[in-house]
Amino acid sequence: MSINDFMQKALIDRRRFLIGSALGVGVIGAPGLVRPAFAGTGYSHASSIRSLSNAFHAAWNKGAESFAQTIGDPHSALVTEGNSEKGIADIKAFLAKAGDKAILGVDPNDSPDARPIVEAVAAAKGHVVTVWNKPNDLHPWDFGDNYVAHMSFNGVPAGEQTAKALFDSFGGEGAIVALGGIPSNVSAIERKAGLLKAIEASNGKVQLLDFQDADWDSAKANNIVAAWLTRFGGDIKGVWAANDGMAIGALEALRAEGLAGQIQVTGVDGTRDAVQAVKNKEMAATVDWDPFWIGGIALSLGHHAATGAFSPSKEPQEHREFYGTGALITQADVEAYWKKNVEATPEVDWNDLWGRVSGQIQYG
Amino acid sequence: MTRLDSRWASATPLLVLIGLCLAIAIVDPRFLSFGNLGRIAAAASAPLVLALGATFIILMGSIDLSIEGSMAFSGAVLAAFVANASGTGFDIGLAAIPIALLAAGAFGCVIGLVHVYLKVPSFMASLGMGFVGVGIATVLLGGERVGILDPNIRALALNRVLGLPLSVYVGVFMLAVAWFIQDHTRIGRHIMALGGGEDLAAASGINVRRVRVLAFTIAGAFFGVGAILTCARLGASSALIGSGQLFTAISAVVVGGTALTGGKGGVLQTVVGVLIVIVLNNGMIILGLPSFVQQGVLGLAIILAVLLNSPRRSLAIVK
Repeated sequence: MSINDFMQKALIDRRRFLIGSALGVGVIGAPGLVRPAFAGTGYSHASSIRSLSNAFHAAWNKGAESFAQTIGDPHSALVTEGNSEKGIADIKAFLAKAGDKAILGVDPNDSPDARPIVEAVAAAKGHVVTVWNKPNDLHPWDFGDNYVAHMSFNGVPAGEQTAKALFDSFGGEGAIVALGGIPSNVSAIERKAGLLKAIEASNGKVQLLDFQDADWDSAKANNIVAAWLTRFGGDIKGVWAANDGMAIGALEALRAEGLAGQIQVTGVDGTRDAVQAVKNKEMAATVDWDPFWIGGIALSLGHHAATGAFSPSKEPQEHREFYGTGALITQADVEAYWKKNVEATPEVDWNDLWGRVSGQIQYG
Repeated sequence: MTRLDSRWASATPLLVLIGLCLAIAIVDPRFLSFGNLGRIAAAASAPLVLALGATFIILMGSIDLSIEGSMAFSGAVLAAFVANASGTGFDIGLAAIPIALLAAGAFGCVIGLVHVYLKVPSFMASLGMGFVGVGIATVLLGGERVGILDPNIRALALNRVLGLPLSVYVGVFMLAVAWFIQDHTRIGRHIMALGGGEDLAAASGINVRRVRVLAFTIAGAFFGVGAILTCARLGASSALIGSGQLFTAISAVVVGGTALTGGKGGVLQTVVGVLIVIVLNNGMIILGLPSFVQQGVLGLAIILAVLLNSPRRSLAIVK
């Protein structure tokens, strides 16, 4: 078994981490697991993502693998490690190999990267779907059929819904503290806007004691919450965080003071440890973007366009630049979610291209 | 440089720390409450152990940029040998700690070997191995944050003795170990000698290669302890467990007064440096400064500390 097969198999298994297979404890799947089920359709697939070291992109890669397997095509992960130049160079190298048989799902490292990437794919006559980041003036319909679609997720309702769930956890009246992501980041800005909207809607019943940027980082969030406990003490009724990593860091800072479960925390992303914390009644809510679905559907859209199943330029604009759907997970519905998504591997219909479209992207 | 000057310079960080504490306490007396001092101690314990490891390398005149990767690697090994949320791996409880530390030491040893025998500059060898560490951790953990459920490991952060979490005592113990290595063992004196002047040290019969490899091994073991404390605190292991720790550790060492040129400073200075960085972070939140101001203050503080620590040194070249 080559090291590459081993890596792919390790990263593909959705329900068990690699600790099991790496140490030979877990069930080692049959070698057939990573072999194409049948000859394939002749296309080469690639996902350009930040890294495989974070839960979100690891799941994205698994979804992409899963889709590529169902049609028997090869798939490779192109990892940018936060480096725009590397991301663009890897995509160009992939295009040089695959040419017009290239199908790409791309999470551009930074908004401006999307343009050279899309132009390169269009020049090679491949097909690309971008996710999350792109400049506002770059549109799929300016590139004929090669730039199939851009998908994003609206952070405003996510921030607002988790904030509301947090307010409900302490009866809707009291003060909260909030942790933001990287301040220049679109999703950080949107989620914060959602939080501020929810605070405004409370008509002064909920006050924001302090807002600090913890750069999406657990350890930073942990230290900030510890210092907040000194500054605000018993006034804090809830902690809102713009992502689950910071929410978990905050929760552990509360646990160290014996406050876990008494002061509720919310996050966004739907990572497994956060869902587990919602289940334990220590977090009030999180939002699941379903990165597994994102990774697969991006390639599926590209593949359907490439094989002529649909013609992107004939689709309405809300099928070219759209918001996907995030699922709010609260303590009320976490059990049902757990049964469906964690205990069982959810079956995704990769041919349902537009089932999760929730409106065209608006530029405010 | 007169003797008085150098005395004054080595006391500067301590005076800065005391001044900082007083200034913050005047604005908000709660800063000095027992609860907050405990929080500062708890927040400082992992960065302290990491910075102690880095101190040995910097004293030698080299640099170790592998902190984040070493932590990721040892954290992943730890997760593989304790009860974790993935339900896989070997659950051997506390016996996982020596295994994780051995792995961390071995990792440091490899960095040292690459550096010495392949003649790769230390910053490049450690940076490269750091990436390898993150890579191994990513494969072991499948890119996830894996929760650590072992109550004994979690106890380091959650159980208190005399009002302070156990991790604080681990930090103090590691400080004693580091101080003992530096002042009372041959390897400690050799590290100092190497930083003072490698040619002289080699001429007086010190086995330079052996000292370098050993120093990186010791540093690796310290990074392993830091990783265990961080995993205990965050209740999880992930390939990104060390993110941001490299900057904190190296800046703490420098702020404490250990010279990047090697041969000057030591582990006790590093304690002061770590406390300055953590007190600044904690104090700025308590004072309610916005995030972007905090980053600026931290950057200026580091530059200022370095300036204060180099009293009119007439270096031909500043590299």
